[in-house]
Amino acid sequence: MNTLITNLPVLLIALSGGVILLLRDWRITLVALLLNYIGVAIFLAQQQFIQPDIHLGAVAISTTVLVKFISGVAATAILAITGLTFSREYNLDDLDEFSLAELRRAGRRAQRQRAAEPFRLSDYIIPFWTLMLTILASVALPRLYPIGNTTTIDFVWYWLGLIGLFTMVVAGDMLKVGLGLLLCIGSIDVLYIAVASSIQVFPLALLGLVEIVLALSIAYLSGLLYGRLKTLELNELYKR
Amino acid sequence: MIYLLLIFFPIAMGAGCFVLRKQTQLVIIGAVATMLAQIALVSRLPLDQPARLLGLTLTLDPLGRLFLITFLGVGALALLASWNIPHGENFVPIALLILGMISSTLLLLQEPFVASLLLISTGLLAVLAIVDLPTGSPVLVGRATLATALKYLVLMLIAGVMMYMGFVLVSATQPALVGTSISPTHLVLALIVVGFGLRLAIVPFHSWLPDLAEDAAPMVSVLVVAIINVTCLLFLIMSFQFVFFPFEIVGGPDNQRNMWLLMVIGVITALLGAFLALAQTSMRRMVGYLVVYNAGMVLFGLATMDKVGVTGALFEAWNQTIIVLLLFVSIGLLERPDGRPANVVRRDLLWRWPVAGTGLLGGCLALLGLPPFNGFASKLLLYEAAARKGGVYLVLLLLATALALLALIRLARERLFGPSEDQPVEAAPLLLGTTELDQPADRRLEPESRGMVLLTVVLLAVCLGIGLYPQPLLGTINEVMRGLTFIQSF
Repeated sequence: MNTLITNLPVLLIALSGGVILLLRDWRITLVALLLNYIGVAIFLAQQQFIQPDIHLGAVAISTTVLVKFISGVAATAILAITGLTFSREYNLDDLDEFSLAELRRAGRRAQRQRAAEPFRLSDYIIPFWTLMLTILASVALPRLYPIGNTTTIDFVWYWLGLIGLFTMVVAGDMLKVGLGLLLCIGSIDVLYIAVASSIQVFPLALLGLVEIVLALSIAYLSGLLYGRLKTLELNELYKR
Repeated sequence: MIYLLLIFFPIAMGAGCFVLRKQTQLVIIGAVATMLAQIALVSRLPLDQPARLLGLTLTLDPLGRLFLITFLGVGALALLASWNIPHGENFVPIALLILGMISSTLLLLQEPFVASLLLISTGLLAVLAIVDLPTGSPVLVGRATLATALKYLVLMLIAGVMMYMGFVLVSATQPALVGTSISPTHLVLALIVVGFGLRLAIVPFHSWLPDLAEDAAPMVSVLVVAIINVTCLLFLIMSFQFVFFPFEIVGGPDNQRNMWLLMVIGVITALLGAFLALAQTSMRRMVGYLVVYNAGMVLFGLATMDKVGVTGALFEAWNQTIIVLLLFVSIGLLERPDGRPANVVRRDLLWRWPVAGTGLLGGCLALLGLPPFNGFASKLLLYEAAARKGGVYLVLLLLATALALLALIRLARERLFGPSEDQPVEAAPLLLGTTELDQPADRRLEPESRGMVLLTVVLLAVCLGIGLYPQPLLGTINEVMRGLTFIQSF
């Protein structure tokens, strides 16, 4: 029972990462991202090399963990707000007739596509086998190429990095690419905290800032893409 | 204090310019004034006097000063050029933010973690500039532009992650472990090659650069290729100096194979870049591939670890900042709308806009390293370094330059020196059913603006001046070279 509680954050990180890689609905993947950040924060708080240095009421917590948690929540919130509002609307008065016609065409095409988009199990075959490959690699690499102090630390950063990378590879929409990138940043974050000989506050804070700026960039690009094509699907972007 | 001013002044001005961004001319004047103030600040800064701030060491060495002044100068000229060349609504504030970040990166080159994160952030800002549309634009942002922005975002973030990972692994490694069975040397080297390769557009990670040249506004390409990429090169040199050389990841007799690998990658990049430039029909893409060719030359020079080679690489990188500005200013001027649809190929550009056409031609010649332009002196050093490493390298680099020259000849023949459309031509007989609307629109040819002519001439004069008299710049670079221990001890 004790072992299960100790390893709960690792389980949370593993499960949420798997959900992000496997599923396509942004409402589910964003919740998984938030759980992933919570898991990472709890995991870091458990490590002996991170000492609590501030008190929030009765809870003693480390600044490092708090910074990670806040930046994670902020990044998720930015993407969630983007998901809920999406489109960067063009000022229709400024647009010429060709652009207006193109917008109307894009709107009709996206509507048709949404109507004719049934659930297909075949869409999940590649993500599923990619997930299997990630599991295999994340279990093998900490033994073949140990870098951190413990196998668990190595598993966590390898897992986050590989899941992030493969999420980008199998991503069909812009928001999912962003999730993959955020997971990669999370991976180097854990690696730095767990492995670097001396942890400096400034690089950590900057890493948190990069996370937030990345979320903003993805949100901006998603808004532009949706405003232009009325969909976030990347295959529409590359259609000639 | 002066360091903080150097970092935060352009950022604060960028915020101000964002608020006033619709007043295009006003914000350009403000931004140029900011750049001039920054240049004055940098030239007053004492060299090699580190200051501590939040546990970080800020310092400006002679190399940093030389390039920072150049970047600020190039930034000021790019902002001035945006007066006449179409640019996005937020270009000026983003350019100021990017230059502020670049200043901080150059001051923090000895802090690899922070520098790599600052480079990621700069890349993210550049993405916003790529997709930016002019104020009140009647068109939608292009699909290709969006795809380019996404590609740049993903690749630059992966590059940053790789670099950061490499630095973490180096910092976690005890020097005593290097060379033993658990040494992470090869993993670190792989991460560095991929990370910096993506950033510097080295083959096979080069595809983003021609896309960017094609789809982004010309001055955005200048910011990315001339400023951000060259900063990354300086970061690589400083990483050699302070991180990789002390940990015996590069340099030293035991790592000759690693450096050989980098030299080969450099040669392949130069060859492939030149070859692909030859295959392009688009002017912008061709210039993009010529920059890839040049990146290969610079990497080769750096990887020789030889004093002549590294001097050539640094000199070439400096030249690249000026030449890229000249090239994209010329392209921006040559692409001005002339009343014809955008897909109509213009073949007489040199006759129509002689100064801009000469700028493009001169810029390409300088990039290829042909006399009497500035690229000649730096390329000569690179060829000398190649000859020292073995005749085969010299032959391959010369072959790459010959291919690039062929590409330039093709561009000149097809786009610059074509028959002038002003010459009277025999009117084609009107076919039955043809109306006036079926005839191509008359060209609306405005004369070249005096300001842009002056800017192009000044840039050409700088390229010629440095080409004819490179000693002062070479003297400064040679002075910098004395401080680079990874070269002396090899």
